[in-house]
Amino acid sequence: MANTGIGAAVARKEDGRFLHGRGQFVGDIKLAGMLDAAFVRSPVAHGRIVSIDVPEQFHEAVFTAKDLTGLKTIRANSGLKGFKSSEQPPLASNKVRLVGELLAVCVGGNRALAEDVVDEVFANIEELEPVTDMLSARAPDVPLVHEEWGDNVFLETNVDTGVEAALASAPVKISRRLRMSRQCMAPLEGRGVVAEWNHRTQQLVVHTATQIPHIVRTGLAECLGLDESAVRVTAPDVGGGFGYKAILLPEELVVCWLAIHLHRPVRWLEDRREALTASANAREHYYDITLCADEEGKFLALDAKVTVDAGAYSSYPFTACLEATQVASILPGPYNFPAYRCQTWSVATNKCPILPYRGVARAGVCYALESMVDLVARKINKEPHDVRLENLITPEQMPFDNIVNKHFDSGDYPECLKRAAAAIDVEGVRKRQVLGEPDGRLVGLGMGIFNEQAAHGTAVYSAWGIPMIPGYEQAFVRFTPDGGLEVRVGIQCHGQGSETTLAQVAHEILGLDIESIKIVHGDTELSPYSTGTWGSRVMVMSGGAVATACEKLCERIQLIGAHLLQAELEDTQVEDGYVKAPSGQISLIDVARTWYHRPQDLPADVDRQGLEVTAGYKLRRDDGTFSYAAHAAVLAVDPHFGTVEIIKYVVVEDGGVLINPMIVDGQILGGAAQGIGTALYEEMPFDENGQPLFSTLADYVLPGATEVPNIHIEHMETPSPYSLFGQKGIGEGGAIGSVAAVTNAVNDALCRVGAEVCETPMTPRRILTAIQDAKSQRESVGT
Amino acid sequence: MTQVNIGLRVNGKKVNETIESRQSLADFLRETLLLTGTHLGCEHGVCGACTVWINGAPSRSCITLAASCDDAEVISIEGFKDDPQMEKLRSAFISEHALQCGYCTPGMLITAYDIVHRLPDADDNRLRLELAGNLCRCTGYKGIVCALRRVLGPPSENG
Ligand code: FES
Ligand code: FES
Repeated sequence: MANTGIGAAVARKEDGRFLHGRGQFVGDIKLAGMLDAAFVRSPVAHGRIVSIDVPEQFHEAVFTAKDLTGLKTIRANSGLKGFKSSEQPPLASNKVRLVGELLAVCVGGNRALAEDVVDEVFANIEELEPVTDMLSARAPDVPLVHEEWGDNVFLETNVDTGVEAALASAPVKISRRLRMSRQCMAPLEGRGVVAEWNHRTQQLVVHTATQIPHIVRTGLAECLGLDESAVRVTAPDVGGGFGYKAILLPEELVVCWLAIHLHRPVRWLEDRREALTASANAREHYYDITLCADEEGKFLALDAKVTVDAGAYSSYPFTACLEATQVASILPGPYNFPAYRCQTWSVATNKCPILPYRGVARAGVCYALESMVDLVARKINKEPHDVRLENLITPEQMPFDNIVNKHFDSGDYPECLKRAAAAIDVEGVRKRQVLGEPDGRLVGLGMGIFNEQAAHGTAVYSAWGIPMIPGYEQAFVRFTPDGGLEVRVGIQCHGQGSETTLAQVAHEILGLDIESIKIVHGDTELSPYSTGTWGSRVMVMSGGAVATACEKLCERIQLIGAHLLQAELEDTQVEDGYVKAPSGQISLIDVARTWYHRPQDLPADVDRQGLEVTAGYKLRRDDGTFSYAAHAAVLAVDPHFGTVEIIKYVVVEDGGVLINPMIVDGQILGGAAQGIGTALYEEMPFDENGQPLFSTLADYVLPGATEVPNIHIEHMETPSPYSLFGQKGIGEGGAIGSVAAVTNAVNDALCRVGAEVCETPMTPRRILTAIQDAKSQRESVGT
Repeated sequence: MTQVNIGLRVNGKKVNETIESRQSLADFLRETLLLTGTHLGCEHGVCGACTVWINGAPSRSCITLAASCDDAEVISIEGFKDDPQMEKLRSAFISEHALQCGYCTPGMLITAYDIVHRLPDADDNRLRLELAGNLCRCTGYKGIVCALRRVLGPPSENG
């Protein structure tokens, strides 16, 4: 039998249905009597609701806050000291705090009819001055998003190990103000929900496009005032998540309320305009940052003031503060720093809330830190990767507790960087730059190295204050009478291939054909509780849980098998679908049949829990695993048009033991494409009135096949000492190092004409402005 | 609401329906005929998720009015069930890991089907250019380009 266990690039079990158009997404679910819902949304960013006028003939089809009896507001409180709580109403009743906030819901026989009703509803809103800029939001006398707070700050944090001495005396001291723009996560499928009340089971059944079905159930039950057992949440096929679908939505609450009160199934499907302008955004970081080094480029201190625009509300469950608190705890990156200070502010503005997007704060952190490293290198006239090598944590230091007590588990960061430098051919690019391009374009080389904490658990998340802290991850496995295996997990798979990789894990333990292993996920009724799919945790946590449950099951199978074979237990083993002993072998199907149908043949001391096991799993340390990677890009900037073409792109990645290398590569490639979007194209701008300016995919540019280069990947495999098979979470890394590699490459190209861009995305306009500014500066110095 | 009668062939079968004149072909396929293999990613003609085959060419069903498809021959992903060329593309998509969440996949396959017929000699740059009208947020496109390459074979010298 070909190897289909750990390390095999097995073709995905889930592909078939998608390739035939037989996936089942929320929008594909149609229930008898189903109504469609559409929302009336606030046209202004900040205002007081005077009235919501509904023409007489639509009264039956329109619901406002005063109709929604018994619904609680969404509260996502951080456990961190000083956090100010926000209450997100399902439908606004008093104030609106962002463009697109829900004012009323309309129902109709289909989406178009429901939208027709939306057009008939008029919201009379007295406009208030909005807060749209996170930096001025902290000034005195600005309008307040939440009046009762007294300011616009969700949370302020401080870390300081003492940097004053280094700041006063460092031979090299570089400061910059760097901005990472607001982005939309933009999975290709929007969000959507279908809810119905099932009278037979006395349950609210909610089909929703989510990454976290169990958490959504907890949130829905709480806000609707139902027992958790009266709510079933299923996530069918979900068309991409990236963090966008790790939230409890006000729309979900409203649709559930309608389904209960109208006694009919109700559906809402988010359209792209809603996704871009009214649902959650991501990122928007501002760094006021200083890096101190000696003449050789050895780092002496890092000092930063970081502001994150968290929007109007703290979203459930990740809160408004995960982003900024994470910045403070990961800004030192994979480097040795003797001194570090970081102050952060999670600021409220009249914009959509933010959610942790793939890479979470790391994409911004890696961009900011790696930009600074390049600037230091330029200052002391060294190759940036030599400066990196000077400062990276070495394999001899592993496992390593860094300046903020992050415990890096394993790896050889310098080797990773060296391989990336070799693969991108640093010397060759430098020669090319000296020669210049025949077409006048400016060639630049950039690198970004980072480590990615994944599958981190209890201690880490309690320090970040989120209300939903992961503990033991569980899996349920059941051996069926025909010798197949059902594996039930509380995570949700929306493209990661977990239906395949978790089967590979079960196969590794039990030796069953992976075709006879069925992974059931994404349904609260069918799986053990889980915080869900996020934080690159599934392969490590759910994989660990599945393996642990299979091992327990294996012991029980072995006991029955040994008895049937009349062999000593220690002489038997479970392998390739058989219990084997020197005297012979017996198939697992026979073992299963014995338990279910021929109990008279069972040993007297058989485990009475039978062939079903639920097991919990936690890493040996809560710190999780640290995969890492170096990304390197060569690109050409057109100085006349400001356009960028990526010429070559390499990634050297260490994900520990790879469960399925093909799927790992897919994660890296997809993540890198998103990071390229962050670096060059994607931005959700707002005007001074708080109006989101982009509302279609023609304005909000997602990278297409012509923007994403043919990325070359190399692997290193340093097993994590803390996970079950040595695997490390790698789901987000692609989106982290790519931003730094590309932005550094742009600035490497631009430094040839004395220009620098300090903001993402590095659009043609920003690049041309930088070139023009550099030119004006030269001219004014010249005169 | 203005209603119109249309008669067309969908996946080889004759269909006659009375529809709202404003209904898009995508909604007609998905909501009226319950052919949910056609996906909606933007509903404004940019992402390509809704691509179907209309009268022999790939088209965006979200910005095509169903009413304009009177007499048309429409094939959605479900209609390519036994097509040998599509079968090759499907197995190449599996081998090259050209899909993750699967949401862009039906539209992507139909565009790919058009490319292999129209441009058998295309090099990779051309493939990327041809794919530029179909967005995928998951794969980074490499697997999709490789899948097409696998079906087309190595680029010809003068391709
Ligand atoms: S849904 Fe038709 S192009 Fe996006
Ligand atoms: S596979 Fe998810 S959008 Fe392409």
